[in-house]
Amino acid sequence: MTETGSISIFLAFIISIYVLVASIYGARTRKWDFVRSAENGAIAVFVLLVIATIALVHSLINLDFSLKYVALNTSTDLATIYRITSLWAGQAGSLLLWCLVLSVYTAIVVLQSRNKDRQLMPYVLATLATVSIFFIFVIAFIESPFEKLPFIPKEGRGLNPILQNAYMAIHPLTLYVGYVGVTVPFAFGMGALLSGKLGDEWIRYSRKWALVAWTFLGIGLLLGARWAYLELGWGGYWAWDPVENAAFMPWLAATAFIHSVMIQEKRGMLKKWNMSLIILTFFLAIFGTFITRSGIISSVHSFAQSDIGPLFLGFIAFILLFSFGMFLYRINDLETENSFESILSRESAFIFNNLLFLGAAFAVFLGTIFPILSEAVTGSKILVGSPYFNRVNVPIALVLIFLMGVGPLISWRKASFKNLVKNFLIPILLGILTVIVLLALGMKDVKALIAFALCAFVTGTVFTEFFRGTRVRMKRGENFLMAFMRLVSRNKRRYGGYIVHIGIVLIVIGVTASSVFVTEKQATLNKGESMELRGYTLRFDGLEQYTTDAKNATVANLTLFEDGREIDTITPEKNIYKYEGNREINQETEVALRSTYKDDLYIILSGFNEDGSATIRAMINPMVNWIWIGGLVLLLGAVITIWPSGTKSRQEAFVRYTVSEKDTTVKAS
Amino acid sequence: MLKGKLKFIVAIAVIALTVSYLVYGGVRDTMVYYLTVEELMAQVPAVYDTKVRVSGTVVPGTIIKDTNSALKFQITDGTQNIDVTYEGIIPDIFADDVEAVVEGVYAKNDVFEADILLAKCPTKYESTDSLYENKEASN
Repeated sequence: MTETGSISIFLAFIISIYVLVASIYGARTRKWDFVRSAENGAIAVFVLLVIATIALVHSLINLDFSLKYVALNTSTDLATIYRITSLWAGQAGSLLLWCLVLSVYTAIVVLQSRNKDRQLMPYVLATLATVSIFFIFVIAFIESPFEKLPFIPKEGRGLNPILQNAYMAIHPLTLYVGYVGVTVPFAFGMGALLSGKLGDEWIRYSRKWALVAWTFLGIGLLLGARWAYLELGWGGYWAWDPVENAAFMPWLAATAFIHSVMIQEKRGMLKKWNMSLIILTFFLAIFGTFITRSGIISSVHSFAQSDIGPLFLGFIAFILLFSFGMFLYRINDLETENSFESILSRESAFIFNNLLFLGAAFAVFLGTIFPILSEAVTGSKILVGSPYFNRVNVPIALVLIFLMGVGPLISWRKASFKNLVKNFLIPILLGILTVIVLLALGMKDVKALIAFALCAFVTGTVFTEFFRGTRVRMKRGENFLMAFMRLVSRNKRRYGGYIVHIGIVLIVIGVTASSVFVTEKQATLNKGESMELRGYTLRFDGLEQYTTDAKNATVANLTLFEDGREIDTITPEKNIYKYEGNREINQETEVALRSTYKDDLYIILSGFNEDGSATIRAMINPMVNWIWIGGLVLLLGAVITIWPSGTKSRQEAFVRYTVSEKDTTVKAS
Repeated sequence: MLKGKLKFIVAIAVIALTVSYLVYGGVRDTMVYYLTVEELMAQVPAVYDTKVRVSGTVVPGTIIKDTNSALKFQITDGTQNIDVTYEGIIPDIFADDVEAVVEGVYAKNDVFEADILLAKCPTKYESTDSLYENKEASN
């Protein structure tokens, strides 16, 4: 089975080279048979990588300890589901997954666009093949998941217990699909540059694929945040760790891209900008993979470290030089078709949105590489921590939320004063009303007040849009529900986008509340003693111990009272995993979480003593749930936006018609 | 037309300047030197009472946990040791011999008062040493 795996990877490497050569040769000489065979090659690479992955998963499930990867990441007491997920617990397996995901994307692109856009597609395929060649090269020759050990150990090292969590099973996978997904819009951009087909095709495909990657990255980030919150036990969900930033940066750049492509579609502007943005987004995705995989920047994530760093840097340099070289070569074909007319217009709102997203990405990038940069320049390593990232990004985020409210309602080209009053009066009043109410309730934090006011403003504009659209349809005799459903389903992109905005608003509310209004307390309690925490009382009822096959657990039994009324029992744990000997990490603190829409009670058993007393750390994190709900709303909106449109055939017919009008010779079908 | 363009240039310049200022101010006020134990000791007494981050290996047998979860331990670079005190959440993987990263101030009584404690075991991660140990144990 393992031979099958390594042979498959090797063949996939050879065929990827063939795909690259054949697609370019075929396109340049117009021998479409070669392009067709390159497409088939891409499918073959996909099949081979599926076989390789199955081979590795098979070895993981059956605990074939003769493989180094299996011995390092599993053990006999590991549940089957986590044997499978250890596919992405280590370096080599993650890279195999990278290759597999890329081959899936490539196969979908090939199957979707056979016989379409024949000038563009071969170069798109060639770009995808080039990226595959690099990654398959790494797993074929440098960091093979099928590397054998010189002996067969009786037992493997096992999986870190904090990785044995349902979110850990799905979060890295989602993030990977996002990271790798960025390759596809980039490949369409490069395909356009290489083929010279810089019209609307590439931007249409790129937009759609960028949305897919963006959604997976965003959801992956949120799942990671939730995992950290539940598992790491420090009470927060985001720490500006380099590994988090690594995924956040391409997300920021992709967000800028999916907004600015709209201007190119609608007004034929910003062509150079969009091309640069997608190259930048891909660079950040590869750079993120590099950070997480090379260990160059120290992170609390104990990721694998190895010597693939220089190789990655070489690849990044190649990508940047080649793509910006191509960009300069084609720069004359990327001239704009229109120019900006007024600073009060939707176009300029988008420009500012883009600049701010890039500003944020730049600030995060700088903060992440600051230790390396400062060491190179001054000789001493200097870090910037969470305070830096918060100080820079919070103001940027606030302005962005403001623009999120402005963008959808301001007119294209030039907004008149009348337009502004008509559209923004109600949302602005809503924002002001929010501030007044919150002040009356005693909230004093200025940043939080601004954030909540802006959230109300955005919500106001989005609902205005939904209300107006629905009302217009209702005048045509549809009932409310029907009008609303049709409004959304006939304009999926627009209203899906608004739903995403509502998701973001919910996330911002949750993040603001939970970062500004945290209450934290720690106490060592004897049996029967209590601690008070903002309206809650926790009574410690003693320690309890139990043993399972995998662990020895110590539980602190706590009873929770709210305003003197008993409402719940809470049981934080501290576990010592069995299996002493070769596993380095055997302790795990199990957080007890009581979550409502109002607040989260976050209880950690941080220590216990011989005399039966326990040290309890308790936190009240307000409105954290809003973040996860916001994530679901965001996902819903994104799915609506991406969902294939039923009216597509009609639009295409219209486009063909306009083409045949200009060129009346043959195409009048 | 020119006037319109000028407005854009001004607006873009304002954004660029604001972001740059935020970055500059953020770095200036939050930067922390990252030192090894050796580098820290070389900078005594200048380093007293400035915020720094230090990494070193936890000296086996020096970890003392107070009942109030106050923690004392030593970290080393192999030749020199420093005393560290810390109060707060202790990472699960914190133990003898792991690499600890502490952030805080080195006080005049030569005790490092940490307010952040991170722990990691990167060197062992992809190492097969432990598997060899296991092989010997099972033979």
